[in-house]
Amino acid sequence: MAELGFAGGGRTASDTAVAGPAETPLVALIGPPNSGKTTLFNQLTGLRQKVANYPGVTVEKKVGKVALPNGAEVDLVDLPGVHGFSARTLDERVTRDVLEGRVEGIRAPDALVLIVDSTRLEAQLMLVEPVLDLKLPTLLVLNMCDELEARGGRVDDGPLEERWGVKVVRTSASAGIGIEAVRDFLTGVGVAVLSAPQPERTVSNVPGGVALPMVAAFTARRVRVREVVQKAGYQQPSPSKLSERLDHVFLHRLWGPLVFSVVVLLVFKSIFAWAVPVMDGVDFLVGASGDWLAASLPDTWFRSLLVDGVWAGVGSVVIFLPQILILFLFLGILEDSGYMARAAVIADRMMYRVGLQGRAFLPLLSGYACAVPAILAARTVSDERDRLATIFVTPFMTCSARLPVYALLIAAFIPAEPLLGPILDMQVATLLGLYGLGIVAAIGTAFLLKRTLLKAEPTSFLMELPPYRIPSLRSIALRLLDRSHIFLRRVGKVIFTVAIVLWTLTQFPRTDLGAPHIEESALARMGHVIEPVIEPLGFNWKIGVGLVTSLAAREVIVGTLGTIYGIEKADEEPLQLQDAIKRDLSPGAAVGLLIFFAFALQCMSTVAVMRRETAGWKWPALQFAYMLLLAYVGAFIAYRIF
Amino acid sequence: MRQVVELVSIDLPADQAEPLFERGILPGCRICPIRRSPSGDPIVEIDGALLALRKETAECLCVRLINQFQDAD
Repeated sequence: MAELGFAGGGRTASDTAVAGPAETPLVALIGPPNSGKTTLFNQLTGLRQKVANYPGVTVEKKVGKVALPNGAEVDLVDLPGVHGFSARTLDERVTRDVLEGRVEGIRAPDALVLIVDSTRLEAQLMLVEPVLDLKLPTLLVLNMCDELEARGGRVDDGPLEERWGVKVVRTSASAGIGIEAVRDFLTGVGVAVLSAPQPERTVSNVPGGVALPMVAAFTARRVRVREVVQKAGYQQPSPSKLSERLDHVFLHRLWGPLVFSVVVLLVFKSIFAWAVPVMDGVDFLVGASGDWLAASLPDTWFRSLLVDGVWAGVGSVVIFLPQILILFLFLGILEDSGYMARAAVIADRMMYRVGLQGRAFLPLLSGYACAVPAILAARTVSDERDRLATIFVTPFMTCSARLPVYALLIAAFIPAEPLLGPILDMQVATLLGLYGLGIVAAIGTAFLLKRTLLKAEPTSFLMELPPYRIPSLRSIALRLLDRSHIFLRRVGKVIFTVAIVLWTLTQFPRTDLGAPHIEESALARMGHVIEPVIEPLGFNWKIGVGLVTSLAAREVIVGTLGTIYGIEKADEEPLQLQDAIKRDLSPGAAVGLLIFFAFALQCMSTVAVMRRETAGWKWPALQFAYMLLLAYVGAFIAYRIF
Repeated sequence: MRQVVELVSIDLPADQAEPLFERGILPGCRICPIRRSPSGDPIVEIDGALLALRKETAECLCVRLINQFQDAD
């Protein structure tokens, strides 16, 4: 059977560090998705968690420390939720590689905790056999026991323990029941892990390792599992009545899409409505503290570095947090309550037509506020290729940073003449047209991607609809903390670096008075340098400088143009800037500039997030080039037409 | 009134069928269709789990009607 490593090629077990007596024991938490694995993980580790990426891939590695009653500790790794160990999905490959001890940076686990949803015992226990094959001390956790009993189900632990030779523990992770028993098991692991030599391990998805046709092999496994489960007197709980009644509405032909639209609108509205005041607050705080700093330091380059460089740089990172937190709060509530799965089902057909998935709908939609949290949210898309396609397409959603640019150019160049009665005038029509352009570009790109680079065999779509549950705010809060931490650490670094670099470019060449005037700075030079390239689009060097500075963030161009045209406080006195631009740009070039901004990826923050979420520079670079090309061609055509 | 059907065979290539097998959707298992999504995708109950299948996938499942039972309402 083919050994599959990561992108870097296969590794043998001897390459990785295996348990030594002095190290903390490592226990792996494994189970299907929706089994309450993460809730159990959170209960055991609390805030002592670290999230990173497995090397070279976008799967997250979550390791935490569990404090044990005897004062010792074990490391607990929360493996991705899987149904098996096939080579088909990234999650399953990574899980298998971790269990086999073939991943750099994490040693082979010393013990396993297999957690399943006891209300669906038979199906979920399909994992038992491959897990037991590893011959490690294993604990079988039957989670959601409270639900099992509440809905009239039951099971005896004894036969399960006997047949498989594992300890069985019942828990209700969300209610905190049974956690102590799990801790006892972990204590036992800590004690037992001595210098026992670790045998080489392989995990096989197909039962028995014999070359049976897959159906037969799986069926045989299913029969064995059923036998044990029946011996344990398992009684399937009756379906949740509440879930059925809710589904009757939420998946109704008429009410379903209606509720869906309302939910979507709500999420969207709150990102805008709630985030904006908080963001303004952050802006104000950063600005005010920056001013205070500037006032208390002498006017040197160091002060400029601190205030205009570092402080502004920090501000440009922190400003994203409110949107990220609000979006993830909503997504967390929707996901944990069970509604998200239904929403994905409703959106799926529409998304499938363009080559994406139902689960991508909400993340994509939040791109209308800002692509940065939207790309982070694309994690909910289970298929790796679909996720990449979603990420690639997100920047085409007309984000809020484009609006100041659109507003300036539309006000300056498009007359406010009515087009369709009193409601629709030319200005509004142009704005809507730009939004539409974004959607068209997104759909076209998704289509193109799925046919070329991300082409894959159609997967048989299967969405599990978990029963509706009351979301645990504690669990959601922990995830929010995680996300912000990751964002600040990984993405924040890049955004900050870019801000400093840009600041540096405005500081040279030095004149007798210190920093040069913006027009003489190295940054402006770059505008001159690219002028011949943008001339066919009707742009001059001033626009060129604006394009260069707006690489950091789109709306920066408004301030930059204000400075270049010698207008103070351009955002508060729009008319002056509008007049100035009108004299400098032809209408055709203005439309071209609008289209340029609709298509081009002028947002280093987005690039930074993409790099993190795609674990490399390849995709963001490709994205940048593709969008730049589209923008150039679009602007070119517009200039010639108008 | 709900129908229960039995899965006879899955008309899909191995790599597309594997995710179904892993979830216990195997020939011989009982499937209870519950409803259709607004866009027509079937939503079924298998072994206590509620699953939504794309129309295209569902079309590849050959089933056999076995009996009918009342809704426990």
